[in-house]
Amino acid sequence: MRIRVNGDVRRVDAPGETPTLWALRDGLGVLGPKYGCGIGACGACTSLLDGRAFRPCSTPVTEIGDREITTVEGLSRDGSHPVQRAWAELDVPQCGYCQAGQMMSAVALLRRVPAPTDADVDEALRDNVCRCGTHSRIRAAVHRAARLQREERDR
Amino acid sequence: MTARTNRRGFLATAGGAALVLVAVPGGLPTGVLPVGVAEAEALAGGATFEPNAFVRVERDGSVEVTVPKTELGQGVRTSLASLVAEELAVPLHVVRVRTADADPRYGNQATGGSSSVRTLFEPLRRAGATGRALLVRAAAQRWGVPDAECTAAGGGVRHPRRQPLPYGVLLADAAALDPAAVEVSLLPPERWRIIGRPQRRVDNADVLTGRARYGLDVTRPGGLVAVLARPPWLGAAPRSIDDTAALAVPHVVRVEALASGVAVLADDTASALRGRERLVVDWSGGEPAASSARWFEDLDAAVPPSPDGPAGTPFTASFRMPVLAHACMEPVNATAHVADDGTVRVWTATQSPEAVRRQAAELAGVDVSAVTVSVPLAGGGFGRRAETDVTEEAVRLSALVRRPVKVMWTRDDDMRHGSFRPASSHTLHAVLDERGVPVWRHHALATWPLTTAPVFGTPELVRAFGDRFGYDVPGAVDVRLIPSPLRTGFWRSVYAGQLVVAEEMFLTAVALHGGLDQVALRRDLLTGKPRLLTCLDAAAAEFGWGRRLPAGHAAGAACLDDYGSAVAVVAEVDCSGEQPRAVRVVVAVDVGVVVNPSGVRAQVDGAVSDAVSTAFGAQITVREGAVVQSSFRDYPWLRIDRAPVVDVVLVPSTADPGGVGELAYAPAAAAVAGAVHAATGRRPAGLPVVGAVG
Ligand code: FES
Ligand code: FES
Repeated sequence: MRIRVNGDVRRVDAPGETPTLWALRDGLGVLGPKYGCGIGACGACTSLLDGRAFRPCSTPVTEIGDREITTVEGLSRDGSHPVQRAWAELDVPQCGYCQAGQMMSAVALLRRVPAPTDADVDEALRDNVCRCGTHSRIRAAVHRAARLQREERDR
Repeated sequence: MTARTNRRGFLATAGGAALVLVAVPGGLPTGVLPVGVAEAEALAGGATFEPNAFVRVERDGSVEVTVPKTELGQGVRTSLASLVAEELAVPLHVVRVRTADADPRYGNQATGGSSSVRTLFEPLRRAGATGRALLVRAAAQRWGVPDAECTAAGGGVRHPRRQPLPYGVLLADAAALDPAAVEVSLLPPERWRIIGRPQRRVDNADVLTGRARYGLDVTRPGGLVAVLARPPWLGAAPRSIDDTAALAVPHVVRVEALASGVAVLADDTASALRGRERLVVDWSGGEPAASSARWFEDLDAAVPPSPDGPAGTPFTASFRMPVLAHACMEPVNATAHVADDGTVRVWTATQSPEAVRRQAAELAGVDVSAVTVSVPLAGGGFGRRAETDVTEEAVRLSALVRRPVKVMWTRDDDMRHGSFRPASSHTLHAVLDERGVPVWRHHALATWPLTTAPVFGTPELVRAFGDRFGYDVPGAVDVRLIPSPLRTGFWRSVYAGQLVVAEEMFLTAVALHGGLDQVALRRDLLTGKPRLLTCLDAAAAEFGWGRRLPAGHAAGAACLDDYGSAVAVVAEVDCSGEQPRAVRVVVAVDVGVVVNPSGVRAQVDGAVSDAVSTAFGAQITVREGAVVQSSFRDYPWLRIDRAPVVDVVLVPSTADPGGVGELAYAPAAAAVAGAVHAATGRRPAGLPVVGAVG
């Protein structure tokens, strides 16, 4: 089977029911999406499927079809994506383990809602657990990223 | 000629000449020093300069700092590297930070007790300063001037009348000097450029691009992944194992029984998990009827009696503190390779690298010197990674299969089979004077020892780690330990997370009972504690203590003096809805000299998150022998939509650095619980304040 990941077409050599998370991590060496629960209950694996947030741990790889997966690695290699820049500026990560998932949820939100309210942020990121307690910096970083993204568009 | 810029801001050109860009922050001019390659090689002698185990300067002028503690999210790679960079006079962004392997050269590598910055503040600055002194001497000798006329800044040595010399050209000269021949002095605080200013995490670039490597990201050629089927109730052991179906799963290669469970080893994680599902184990023995509700009855019954107090009005309250799981975002894991050549390698984000090394040597039957323990990033620690249970599994399994084995605990393993924060039952007595102010106190409690740290098996140690009563009220703490029905271990702030929470909830209860102001009562009782008093005043002022709060809202206060630091918390809750909610938590801390303000604030944010989570429902319960909770669905950790505003006040201080990682948990939990008490008029039975404890 072939899947599209971060702009490349990659061959996956695993049974179809294999969770996409393990196809990515063990099969393709795409280690940005993290394992936190395996049942869609923490958000550590959150990535994008055709631009919408999804949970690779609870999506069998066979369901991906020809849709495009974007993981944190696909935002930018040099940290230049507005969400990555905002996260760096506000020094968001503590252990960092949840942050790929947090950022991908934020990216999906900002695609839909370019200028989110606090309530939008709550709604979009409520199912991403951060055990370390970076919530207030995450909130500030989403708003900051929204501004950076708008500035980028206006240029 | 091709040019290459590396991320440290040094520009090197391959070909006839090397340009070395000296980045000098903060006012000094940036110099571009042209040095011919041949000249640079002659000058540097192709050497690197390693004045000690912590510092290494490379020919391109870049610096590697080795940090002897484990990054758990507390920011220790950033704060410790800052100490070295400051004294070596290099900007933090040119420093590559390496986490030390287990190695006696680094001294005590255990990470815990909020001690890393406290214990290494002086030694790591000295390590950097030694490097600086030697590089300055090397430059001074080359110029034929006294050391005192030279200054180090921005990764080079400067002199008023010479072209600055970047460190990269001084390596061989500096390496040839006798460190004992230079005088090493630490920079006075007014010359600090890094310490005390917010520094962003050195790992951010890697974390935010997905390049950061945690324990679970370790992959070894030919390696296997193992997951274990663990006892479905406490203490159960396999009577029989049928592994036929498990072994029939493609890529499952072995099934092995260990003391902790039955391991399924496969080429990849998904196959190992599938194999574990197919494993048929007949379990027997153990405690299939165990119940945490019963455990609390036992704890309540074991609380020692209180002696009679002096004359006055007696006041009593009891509280229960729950069992807690660490629930690190990254479940515990370890990779081990017991190789045929007699070497052992372990990759694990442990808080106890030396203990892992000794353990691996013992289990594999080799000398400690044959064991390498490497420490990747940890997705949280909170005390859980002080233990060596998962490394034992990995080493044992690798010794059996002679291949690298990564043991992964699944989330439900982690929630159900970890080492838990002990439960406790507390009864507090006070005698009040006619104003309602306590003049005598007694705190009696029953709890469990830490089974994973047997030294914590005495009441004296529980008191030593948990009894932090700082108020001017005479009295005593009486601890009774009863055998633990669970595996128990260190959990952020250890016994202070039980004793201090109970004491502060009690003090709030005393205040509310007598119609006294919570902050004023505490102020009056903090006579001998100037740092704590300053924090309390700062938190109350920042909060606007005394102002009218909206209907259904109320505030609670609490203090703690521990880890060489002081902290006061004022929390506001909203109890007008169905579920109480923390609105705002103000935390004033005096942690002595602050190394990284951004890091201190983050640690306080984290402690507040733990406090709100455990106050409002996260607890471990046991029914029919099994832990009920199995993921973040039923262990309701704080989410962004319920997260309070956290305001951190850093009280200026010139005291030696204190600890901060664990500091704010207990007072924040007590302040939140006290606020709920104030809002509802009902004294909580303990933590969590909603629902039953246990
Ligand atoms: S690992 Fe996918 S949601 Fe937890
Ligand atoms: S930063 Fe550690 S879990 Fe979010």
